[in-house]
Amino acid sequence: MKGQTEMKIIKIKKEAWGQGLEKLQSEFRLFGPVADKDGFEFKELAQGQLPVMDLGNTRLSAKSTVYPQTQVMFNYTLDESKEDHHIMKEVDLNGQPQAVIGLRPCDAASFQLVKRNFDNPEYPDPFWVRPYEQSTFVGLACDNPSPTCFCTSVGGGPYSENGLDVLLSREGEVILAKVITEKGEALAKAAGWDTDADENVFDERRDAAEKKITAKINSDQLKGKNANDLFSAPIWEDIAFACLNCGTCTYSCPTCWCFDIQDEVKGTEGKRMRNWDSCMYPLFTLEGSGHNPRPVKEMRVRQRFMHKLKYYPDKYDSDVQCVGCGRCIDLCPVNIDIRDVCETMNNYKPLKSES
Amino acid sequence: MLTYAEKIRELSAQLLREDKVDMVIGFRKGSLPMSNEPCMVKNPGDADKLVWDSNCGVNLASYLTDRKERIGIIAKGCDSRNINTHIIENKIKREQLTIIGVPCTGMIDKRKVSNSVDFDIIEVIEEADKVIVKGAGSEQTFDKKEVLRKNCEVCIHPNPVVYDEMVAEKVDINQDVDRYADVREVEEMDSDDRWQYFEDLLSNCIRCYACRNACPLCYCPTCFVDESQPQWLGKSTNATDTRGFHFLRAYHCAGRCTDCGSCETVCPMGINMRAFTKKLEKDCLENFEWQAGLNTEQRPPLDSFNPSDPDAFVK
Amino acid sequence: MEHMGIEKDRLHFSWISSAEATKFIDVVTQVTESVKALGPAKKFVKAG
Repeated sequence: MKGQTEMKIIKIKKEAWGQGLEKLQSEFRLFGPVADKDGFEFKELAQGQLPVMDLGNTRLSAKSTVYPQTQVMFNYTLDESKEDHHIMKEVDLNGQPQAVIGLRPCDAASFQLVKRNFDNPEYPDPFWVRPYEQSTFVGLACDNPSPTCFCTSVGGGPYSENGLDVLLSREGEVILAKVITEKGEALAKAAGWDTDADENVFDERRDAAEKKITAKINSDQLKGKNANDLFSAPIWEDIAFACLNCGTCTYSCPTCWCFDIQDEVKGTEGKRMRNWDSCMYPLFTLEGSGHNPRPVKEMRVRQRFMHKLKYYPDKYDSDVQCVGCGRCIDLCPVNIDIRDVCETMNNYKPLKSES
Repeated sequence: MLTYAEKIRELSAQLLREDKVDMVIGFRKGSLPMSNEPCMVKNPGDADKLVWDSNCGVNLASYLTDRKERIGIIAKGCDSRNINTHIIENKIKREQLTIIGVPCTGMIDKRKVSNSVDFDIIEVIEEADKVIVKGAGSEQTFDKKEVLRKNCEVCIHPNPVVYDEMVAEKVDINQDVDRYADVREVEEMDSDDRWQYFEDLLSNCIRCYACRNACPLCYCPTCFVDESQPQWLGKSTNATDTRGFHFLRAYHCAGRCTDCGSCETVCPMGINMRAFTKKLEKDCLENFEWQAGLNTEQRPPLDSFNPSDPDAFVK
Repeated sequence: MEHMGIEKDRLHFSWISSAEATKFIDVVTQVTESVKALGPAKKFVKAG
């Protein structure tokens, strides 16, 4: 990437930052990290509210800004005196454009991985695609990655521009903004940020930040392995033993996209919504017949890791379905560590290949 | 602490070698500071992996449910009480178990430590009653009692109540501790303030059910919240449904909860989960002189009737 | 229920034998009066 970046870099002073965001709020719904009890999370910013930009990554990922935990898809009425009774009406998805401010490059990259699922040419999912298309992503580069960050070993980096429209880098009170896409340019213009920066420090800072990342995973051998061998490898009992099937990993993961569809009716008015679901729960695979193809936790744990590290790369001919944000490592109550699991899978050699 | 670990390894290896158990359930060293991973050891040679320090907060009784093997299990005070509860509720048989008791000196609250320092933690070392927290170029030392989990601060059963082996002498028990100051605080509020208190408590709940899944009492094949015929509760993040889940779950733990703190430890959002169960625990103590899991002879208050049971609430 | 903030007078427990018609009337009257005095429940009511 070095040398070819002729992109525009803007300097935003402290006052201009607040003023610019306020200006944006007439056009965009803004989302950003805000304090929430002893952590902070992505929430819609109130008028004049500034996103928290000087702490580490949010406890939960930014996925909820495009894909909320509970999302109404259709409304309907059961009132037979109404003409359109029993007809599903899609909620209006052409809302106000939105901008996600201060998401980290790992979270930005996650949208690109999830996009393959929701925005596939055969069945684009409007409930994800439309909010995504209406979003402008203004990322914040990581100058102080945490000890569990391993974005650089999954194709990302603390200054990665993948999935971002603008990349910000803080320098004390001043923010430098690298405008990456047309969407980003439009946003900068709407905010009134137009002071050109004198120098490009992004490459230099990127190199410094990348050096600070100590955690890593090796997935280089996974592609060549037979999925059935890994599936039936005698490694899962040990890996899964501690698991409580609590679902924290999947809920905090920026790349976990599974959901469950539910109807709720009050009186004659009903809505159909989807809620985040988790492959860690037995209910996730329970079939109407009562049969459950993944009845025990070992199978569920295996599914999570196989999906992220084997099925996804195989299906899309890509890198793993993980952006290295480290949340599942930090939040797992029993210390199941994807880095260790990946290592075990990567090093696994079947005694006798079944293929 | 170090001697605990050595003794645990020695006893575990012996049990496995002498074929008295099929596996030992304990902890192995975690990949992060202040984290150990529950594990099982099947070969005497692997017993060296077992560790013990102040990061063994997960209640191991959760791993016993409906197991058929002969199991050696490492148990601190609360684990042992939940083992008794499991036996009473027919989730495991006493004959299957060889309990290696650990007199507990309290477990560290990882979140409390992380929030007390302003650097990324790289290493945490325990030395006697001190906890030394290290980051890149920074270091801070705490008294262990400053960073204990809240349930450990008020624990009056640190010693296992049932065991076959003990790894050390029992520890002294602080009986003077005020166990229910936090519950009284809520009891003194009027109903609107109470409502608001729990509303605030649950404001960031993400309905992941980590609390339920970590709880050694929550072993129902299908939890009421997962039922769909009938569907007791909605499954979205609706505040009423979320509250319904937490209170119903707490009621299901009435007379069974040992205040082991698992629910609180595992909550990814740091919700003070014990606020739900502790009121019931207090009521059980005050109304029925009952503390869960102290033995297997006495029936729990909710499955026995005594003519002297208090009934002032019935008009 | 009281502990979580449901108003005290909204909840009543009583033991009434089938032979205690008068007590039944008294209790029901008292329950209705105290609940009426509180007005409609706002807590634990799921919005739309």
